[in-house]
Order: sequence, then C-alpha cells, then structure tokens
Amino acid sequence: MKHYLKVYREFLNTCFSQAMSFRINFIFLIGMELIFYSTNLFTVDFIFDYVDTIGPWNRDQFLFFTAFMLTVDHMHMTFNSENFWWFSDDLKRGNLDFTLLKPISSIFTVFFRRMRPGTLPNIFTTWGLMIYFGSKLDFAWWAWAALPLLILTSYAFIISLEIIISISMFWLTEGHGVNFLRMQLQRFSQWPDFVFMYFTRKALTFFFPILLVGTAPVQLMFDASNWKYFILMLFYFGLSLITIKALWSLGLKQYESASS
Amino acid sequence: MHNSKYALRTHQLTKSFRSFKKKPGIKGTLQSFVKRDYTTKNAVDGFDVTIKHGEFIGLLGPNGAGKTTLMKMLTGIIVPSSGDIEVLGYTPSERHKIFRKKIALVMGQKSQLWWDIPAMDSFKLLQKYYEVTDQNFKNRVEELSELLAVKDLLHIHVRKLSLGERMKLELMACLLHEPEIIFLDEPTIGLDLVAQKRIREFLASYHKKNNCSVILTSHYMADVEALCERIVLIIDGKNSFDGSIHEFQNVLGRKKFVQFRFSEKVDNKASIWKDLDPEWNPAGNMVNLRIDESQLREKSQEILQSFPVSDFQTDKMPIERVMNTLLTRPDLVAKSAAQKAQQQAQQKNKDKA
Repeated sequence: MKHYLKVYREFLNTCFSQAMSFRINFIFLIGMELIFYSTNLFTVDFIFDYVDTIGPWNRDQFLFFTAFMLTVDHMHMTFNSENFWWFSDDLKRGNLDFTLLKPISSIFTVFFRRMRPGTLPNIFTTWGLMIYFGSKLDFAWWAWAALPLLILTSYAFIISLEIIISISMFWLTEGHGVNFLRMQLQRFSQWPDFVFMYFTRKALTFFFPILLVGTAPVQLMFDASNWKYFILMLFYFGLSLITIKALWSLGLKQYESASS
Repeated sequence: MHNSKYALRTHQLTKSFRSFKKKPGIKGTLQSFVKRDYTTKNAVDGFDVTIKHGEFIGLLGPNGAGKTTLMKMLTGIIVPSSGDIEVLGYTPSERHKIFRKKIALVMGQKSQLWWDIPAMDSFKLLQKYYEVTDQNFKNRVEELSELLAVKDLLHIHVRKLSLGERMKLELMACLLHEPEIIFLDEPTIGLDLVAQKRIREFLASYHKKNNCSVILTSHYMADVEALCERIVLIIDGKNSFDGSIHEFQNVLGRKKFVQFRFSEKVDNKASIWKDLDPEWNPAGNMVNLRIDESQLREKSQEILQSFPVSDFQTDKMPIERVMNTLLTRPDLVAKSAAQKAQQQAQQKNKDKA
C-alpha cells in the first residue's frame, strides 16, 4: 500500500508538472468545468420552474442529487477520465508495453496514471454546491458525517464499472465505441432511478448497476430505511473488483502489443 | 528465491498472430466487414536459445523475422502461444514483481519518458516504481548522467531534446534500478554515426563494469561487432544460427573479401570472375569478390596481370556482407549448421578414439 501511495504521489507530481507547462490550457479547463456544472444545475432548476416535483423529489432534493453526482463526476474527471481515453490508444500503439514492465499493478497504472490537475481547483465548487443544496434539506447528523464516505464509495463504484467496460478494448482494440458506451452509461447514472421505465430501471439496477451509483447513497441520506440499496451497491462493488481482476488477466493474455 | 544457472532459456518458443487481408477500396472494405479471411502466422517458431549470466548477445534478423516479438515474450509483455521461457528463474508471462525489478527493456522506436516534462521528473517516478532508495537514486543519477554526458539535459523538457539525447536518457531510465538483464531493441536506430558510437561505448563500458546480461537487436552491424560476443540469427522466427562472431564470419566458408579498382571499364563476363561472387559497380571499373583463402594469392596475381588494376584491398568477410548474403540465401545457414554438426561429431569420434 505504501508503495502504491508513493507512486501515486509521483503521478500527481508529474501530471502537475505536465499540466502547468501549458498555462493557458490549465486556466481554460477550470473555466470549462464551471460552465459544465452551471449547465447541469440550471437545467434541473429550469425544469422545476414548470413542475413542483419529479417523482417523489422536490427541487431542493433534486438539486442536491445533481450536486452529489457532479462531485462524483468531478473526481472522475480529475483523476480518471483521461486514462480511459488513453487506454485504447496505448493498446493500439503498443504503449502498454512499458506499463506491463513496471513492478506494480498494471490496472493501477493504466487507470490512475493520468490526471487532469486543471480541474482540481473546482473541488471547492462541487463540494460547496453540494453542501449548499444539502443545507436546505433536513439531513440527520450521521448523513452529513457519512457524506464524504458516500461520495468516495460512489466514485470507486463508478470507476470499477467503467474499468470493466474498458477492459473489452483488449478484444476490440478500437476503443471509441467502448468509450462512448461508457459515457452514455455515465449519463444514466446522473439521473435518479425513478425517472426510468420499469424494465430499464431493473436492468440498470441489477444487471449493470450503474443507477446505484447516485441513487443508492442519496436515497440513504434522505431516508435511512433505504439502506438495502446501498448494501446492494457495496455487494456489486465487491463483485466488480473480482470481475476486473479476472477480466484483466484474460485481457493481458490477449494483448499482442504492436509491431515496432 | 529464484536461482538459475542460466540468465535466460527458451524451449520451442512459439508465438502466432492472426490477421486478415483487406482488398483496397470501398468494396474491399465492405467485404472485409462482412467476411474476413484470417491467416495465422508464426512470428516466432520453435525458438530455442540459452544465454548465460553476463553474456552480451546480438539478436540479428531481417525486418519481420520475429526479433521484437521474441523480446516482448522474454520480458513478459506478451504471452507465448506455446513453448517455455525461463528468465532469471522466472516465467516472464507470470509477471512476478521481483522479475520485473530485475529486467529492463529499451525500445529504440518507443519512449518510456514523458514527452511534456523533464526527464528528471520521469526518473523520480521510476524511482518510486522500482522502490530505489533516495541515496541509491542520487548516486545512480550522478553516475549514469556523467557516463552518458547528459547532466545538462536532465531538467529540460524531453520534447525539446534531439533523438540522440533522448536515447541516452532512455538508456539512463532503464538502468536506474540496476537490472540484471537488459533487453535492447534497436537502441541506435535513427541516430547519426557519432551518437551511435557514443551509445555503443557507453553500453560496452556499462556491461564491463556491471557484468549484467544484455540481449541486443540492431540493424547496424557496427553495434553487433563492437558489443556482442555471440550472435543469434533469427530468420522466419527460427533460430538459424547461434555462435560467436568469428564463427558467423566463417558461415560462408573461409573466404576473404577483396575489392579491385580498375583504371578503366573491364570485361565483366571474363571466366575468371566465375565462382568469385562478383559485385560490380555501375561504371564497371570496380568489383568486390569473395575469394577462398587458399586461392587468394593465385587469383589476385591473375587479376593483376590480366586487368589494369589501379588499387586493391583485402579484408576478412565483413559481418554486414555475411548478413546480407545469408538473408538472401538462408540455405547457406542450414548448410553451415550441418557442416558444424558434422565437424562436432567428427571431433567427438576423435576424442573417443
């Protein structure tokens, strides 16, 4: 673990060093992210100008859910998003070769190596928005205390699901289709489960449980009796870790690198 | 604890790749989308080799012979289709952590250094990967940067460096963790002659000092001649020759390479050139010949008397020329191997007697 933390700290250093070589781009990314968050929140706010509730939730509940998911999305964008796009390229060009030589888990290097430090300052924006909208709701003290852990769990869960999808690139090689599928599923997760029709909701809760990412922790915060969904999410998280390990091992056997 | 008598050993190592051919144009594209005719080719085919600790081996072969595929299997990057490999007592495809700490690979056509940051930042990351202590890292950077004369380049963004400078830093990156076995895949490719020479000198002195095992592939025969004690020739994925440079030079027989220059164009159809493998220049006033050692004096005298020779020089068969001949006539390798086996058998019989 200590070894991994030291390597990860160096990942951060090199990514910062790289990102700050291009100053305008660094600042530009911060601005673009702010526009993205505003668009999401204004869309929800705009809908509530015409309706009082969506499903069982009112405006404040829905805005909190959106801010919660923006916080998870922000972590994803900052720490992982780049890696999914690079992975396909690394497979095609054989750049995975050097990763496989390093005496550390190749999954760790592939999916956590590249960061987007330019988006990191927005951590204050996303957490600020989430706390602001949360303060309008009567959360119990334990809900506030559990919030950081719930965010981390949701983040870890969505990353694990996306890694499973990405591993298919070992067999497909061209990763654009896989990456678009991954992004579409990510979009599903940014809505609460009750907005989907019965069959879609069941499929995206039990077959490929992307809807649990946001719905399970937020429902738990709203009402402690919804703990079953959260336990289900933890179960699927454990299952996805086992699946990743097995699929990755198969994928590496399939890897052919590229001609020199 | 993995102790092995050999640095590396392969047995019947094979790697097959499946690919399909696509006809040109939109029709071909649509056809290949619906139906693909796959072919399977053995990039490495039943390859056997044994390398002792501390040896410096040249792995030679034409493009597409399977050199890089072999290197990738030896380092555990790709998994063999069949056969066995043992490197430092480990099976590379199992990717054991200790095994990965003991090996290094440099690929002349790929870079492990980050393009947009100085090399030193990449080195620090490598330090963490390989768990090199701060003191060791400092000493190692100091020592290697001095040997490679790159001290001034460590803090410059890699993208700003020349190819030769980058290659020196690539070498440095791969040696920071003091690997026991180093795989060098065309480390001098694309470099000018001066840069090639410097890299060669560095590799020679590093090997001498550290006595690590090195497997080198290169298209530049000068690399192989300067560095390798032993040559392994790979043609169509098979080990076609395995022996010392001296033996390699004698694959085509005990022949000398002789070059004659003439003051005017001479008759290149004359019978004397027969059986001497003549290679003429376009102007017809210079010829390269291969003459058996026993006939050298007689043939040279005959040419000097019969033609207006302005200059001539003789040399042992240059390795590059041997290589070129073998690539166009792989049957000669088989012939040489058969002769070698026969000689060995005769020697054995003699010893017994």
